[in-house]
Amino acid sequence: MEQVTALFARIAGAGTLSPQLLLWLGALTMALIMALVMAACAIVFTWAERKVAGFIQSRYGPMRVGRWHGIAQPIADMLKILQKEDIIPADADRKFFILAPFVLFIGSLMAWAAIPFAPGFVAADLDMGLLYIFAASSLVTIGILMSGWASNNKWSLYGAARGAAQIVSYEIPLALAVVPVVLYAGSLNMTDIVVAQQGGIWKWFALRNPFLFVSFLIYFLASIAEVNRTPFDLPETESELVAGYHTEYSGMRFAFFFLAEYANLFLVSCIATAVFLGGWGHPVPGLNFAPALVFLAKAVLLVLAQIWIRWTLPRLRVDQLMHVCWKVMIPLALVCLAGSGVWMLAFVRFA
Amino acid sequence: MFESVCFYLCGGLMLLGGIMTVASRSAVASAVWLIFAFLNAAGVYALLSAPFLAILQVLVYAGAIMVLFLFVIMMLHGPVMNEDLRSRSRWFWPALALPLAAIAGSAVTLLGRARGGAFPAPAPHGFGRAEQVAALLLDRYLLAFELISIVLLVAIIGALSLGLREGRRT
Repeated sequence: MEQVTALFARIAGAGTLSPQLLLWLGALTMALIMALVMAACAIVFTWAERKVAGFIQSRYGPMRVGRWHGIAQPIADMLKILQKEDIIPADADRKFFILAPFVLFIGSLMAWAAIPFAPGFVAADLDMGLLYIFAASSLVTIGILMSGWASNNKWSLYGAARGAAQIVSYEIPLALAVVPVVLYAGSLNMTDIVVAQQGGIWKWFALRNPFLFVSFLIYFLASIAEVNRTPFDLPETESELVAGYHTEYSGMRFAFFFLAEYANLFLVSCIATAVFLGGWGHPVPGLNFAPALVFLAKAVLLVLAQIWIRWTLPRLRVDQLMHVCWKVMIPLALVCLAGSGVWMLAFVRFA
Repeated sequence: MFESVCFYLCGGLMLLGGIMTVASRSAVASAVWLIFAFLNAAGVYALLSAPFLAILQVLVYAGAIMVLFLFVIMMLHGPVMNEDLRSRSRWFWPALALPLAAIAGSAVTLLGRARGGAFPAPAPHGFGRAEQVAALLLDRYLLAFELISIVLLVAIIGALSLGLREGRRT
């Protein structure tokens, strides 16, 4: 953000704008960029999702709109969704029904503020960035519960209840998997965590030691559960709950759920990139000119892996879901935390 | 200037949230207003240079505890609830008087301190950061910290055993 404010200052000429105004301009610009990134990832990833699903099921996927392999399909989809009638069910709790998509959307938008895409390119370089991201994304659960309850529909309520139970449970292994990284980096600041991984692929936290690698896998699996995707898509199981908590939503309100879902998908991948995969660090010589592209490429690869998993694996049962979380992932994450600590004491020389 | 605007905004909205929490008709609305109040409380903490506390306020209270509250309320009441919860009991006036007395008392104390010049104390550098809270919790108050975790463990086991006994009876 400092770079953005500096850019504004240079355009307007030094000293012509007050520091307060510059701060506001910088913050607004960064917020706009983040919102555009969110919209862009919804557009790109819906197309990618449908293409990958097509390839996995031996068909083409969208081919018609926009000449080349249906590249304009998501834009057509968006136009269609915006034209849909906005329906609020007669028995719904109107205020919460309207409020819920915004709570959900704000929760995922706020978390973007602390993601470091490149050196210096982070909207808010917070001391406790990692903690802040978890705190902001915990608002998503409230949005899900509100939407399910306000719809006054049994499928929505079941979907919301499942969603809340699942997200609250999987937040624990997710957070525990990140703790060893904080231990190694000695900081909760996202930029510090990425900087600690610079200087070769073996510096990436996922590859530092076997425990951290397992932590990375736990984080990755738990993050799939956090964004409610197959094999953990119990909150929106089509075959049982119609569409789960957003069954009653249509038009623009549904678009908000949709947008937040894909933004969250990309968000958890960005966190994994920054925390475990070295952020903008890379082993290729001559690629230093575009750190943000390296970062985005890694995150997109993780998203593609999540799409691949979604279209390959069947869905878990509710009891299996809870079993995996509480009896497998959490103990394993604790073992990894202890193991990383011991490894650090044994093999890492303190400066 | 800007900071005091933020402070009064967050403080006022927090008060509004608190009042609406007790004044709302439906339990779910109360819970959502309480979340609103907690978020504004986090804003006040952040302005008082306690960022760690602010983030924990959102993470633990708004994000985890209130989610459980909402979950339980929704499970117990099912669809939209319309009963009026505001029936006056004979405890209404005492229940109103107690917090008012507490507010008046703390206001008098704070004003007295402000006149004495001991307030507001400037926060030292690095105040309220994770490192400092960790140093306090894991060094100075280690025993209390560990004891609290044992108390919480006992509470979990107690809740589990009560719940299991209930389940067996039916």
